[in-house]
Amino acid sequence: MDSTTAPHRIPPEMPQYGEENHIFELMQNMLEQLLIHQPEDPIPFMIQHLHKDNDNVPRIVILGPPASGKTTIAMWLCKHLNSSLLTLENLVLNEFSFTATKARRLYLQRKTIPSALLVQLIQERLAEEDCIKRGWILDGIPETREQALRIQTLGITPRHVIVLSAPDTVLIERNLGKRIDPQTGEIYHTTFDWPPESEIQNRLMVPEDISELETAQKLLEYHRNIVRVIPSYPKILKVISADQPCVDVFYQALTYVQSNHRTNAPFTPRVLLLGPVGSGKSLQAALLAQKYRLVNVCCGQLLKEAVADRTTFGELVQPFFEKEMAVPDGLLMKVLSQRLDQQDCIQKGWVLHGVPRDLDQAHLLKSLGYNPNRVFFLNVPFDSIMERLTLRRIDPVTGERYHLMYKPPPTMEIQARLLQNPKDAEEQVKLKMDLFYRNLADLEQLYGSAITVNGDQDPYTVFEYIESGIINPLPKKIP
Amino acid sequence: METSNRELQAAEYLERHRIKELVSYLTSALLFFRPEKPREYLISLLERLRIAKVTGVAFPFFMDNSNIVAMFEMMDSSGRGTISFVQYKEALKTLGLYTEDGDLKDDGHIITLDKFKEEVNKRMKEI
Repeated sequence: MDSTTAPHRIPPEMPQYGEENHIFELMQNMLEQLLIHQPEDPIPFMIQHLHKDNDNVPRIVILGPPASGKTTIAMWLCKHLNSSLLTLENLVLNEFSFTATKARRLYLQRKTIPSALLVQLIQERLAEEDCIKRGWILDGIPETREQALRIQTLGITPRHVIVLSAPDTVLIERNLGKRIDPQTGEIYHTTFDWPPESEIQNRLMVPEDISELETAQKLLEYHRNIVRVIPSYPKILKVISADQPCVDVFYQALTYVQSNHRTNAPFTPRVLLLGPVGSGKSLQAALLAQKYRLVNVCCGQLLKEAVADRTTFGELVQPFFEKEMAVPDGLLMKVLSQRLDQQDCIQKGWVLHGVPRDLDQAHLLKSLGYNPNRVFFLNVPFDSIMERLTLRRIDPVTGERYHLMYKPPPTMEIQARLLQNPKDAEEQVKLKMDLFYRNLADLEQLYGSAITVNGDQDPYTVFEYIESGIINPLPKKIP
Repeated sequence: METSNRELQAAEYLERHRIKELVSYLTSALLFFRPEKPREYLISLLERLRIAKVTGVAFPFFMDNSNIVAMFEMMDSSGRGTISFVQYKEALKTLGLYTEDGDLKDDGHIITLDKFKEEVNKRMKEI
């Protein structure tokens, strides 16, 4: 099948399967590894790669000036994500490696080791079982662009790079309070991070080289180098301000590291918008349909169109409309299926709103196979909804819709003849809202990976939130 | 924009080992059969491929004998039992079996079904 033969009639199960199992990313990773290592025998290499199953394992680099809290953050992330921590010290102190012994001598003499040796150590360490299975965190490496390039040529690429930043004065101050626990290697601080147990307090040592002058020198060196390292990791870098409490920095780092980057995978959005009446679902659906060329499927609209066109379904639906009763679920689903099965819906994707109203309808939707891949709950407080709906008016002469607060009519003459839709009366709105909130808990439980958006803002802000929810991959659930 | 040496090297590697066709085949198989555990399924496919290569047994690709016959008949619209050289080249290209070596000479003979089958099988084994 190539792109010249058209139209393709791809059964919708295929893209759904592809999205759920992240087939594109799987193949992309495998191809990347193939091209980096270029083995003579690709098939055994691919088998080995698939067995490793480490596409989603953490591969993190943490960089930052001295006293920014790199090591603290790195250690906490390590414990949380259960990965291996690599720093200059523990690479050099590794007893099982010949290269490490060579490096140790140089390190003890001069406190640094040549880049080539460092990179060799890293390569050895990363080839070990625990780094492959559980991921790795590099603390403070690469320091210079040369190291960054060398690591890259070996095919070692991090998935997330965090750069901590803070003003120099803050860092110099902070460094004066640094204390180290000689047994565990953890770093504490006299003001910000004082250990609770008194036995640790007694053991703490003052590290050498924390005077102001030395810190300032180290900072100069850092600034000179970091400017050239940052462009090496364009899309995966994030700068976090280190001038906040430790816990805040840690949480920001953790959320970043657990988020996936945008992928190139083909993706037809099938969006479901849920929210009480008046939360802006129709407006957002119209905006989405316009911008991304999705098909806007509004349940109420579909039914009204069926009745107006006098189709077979329309004849069945009409008596319910006349009596102002809710259309039964079975009939509703039939009308929906007819629309959603059409070729343009399958190919372009859809935005659905107005259903499901309760758990039964949701289960019916699922059983028919219409699974949305993004679900949004629009949250709007009761008062805002009342404000939005009860002030809606329509001009019977021109058909123009007005809102007494957000879009008032221009002249008094028009205002005199405005009418209100009886469905917008206060009691009706309250009834519909109560109905929605009763079913909300069940729906939230069913759509576990739904994204909640604050609908109480201007339409374009809400639209941007929804857009970012669709474009970015769904956040991984923390087990 | 000049392509760097590494890029050219990589493109040549892909070409040499027919990686694109392989990945395309694996993805199509995955999407068609939709197994519960994609990784295990891929591993099993690759193992079968590996064994097929080593033992020289023909691998059950999507293309098997009946497909080859069907393709031939599609091209041979007049039912004479032969296809022209140009059609033959195009068919090989579509199957992804056409290499740039240009070892296909238009030796003036027309291609019969048997010759077509033979060529396709021969090329499949080379992958």
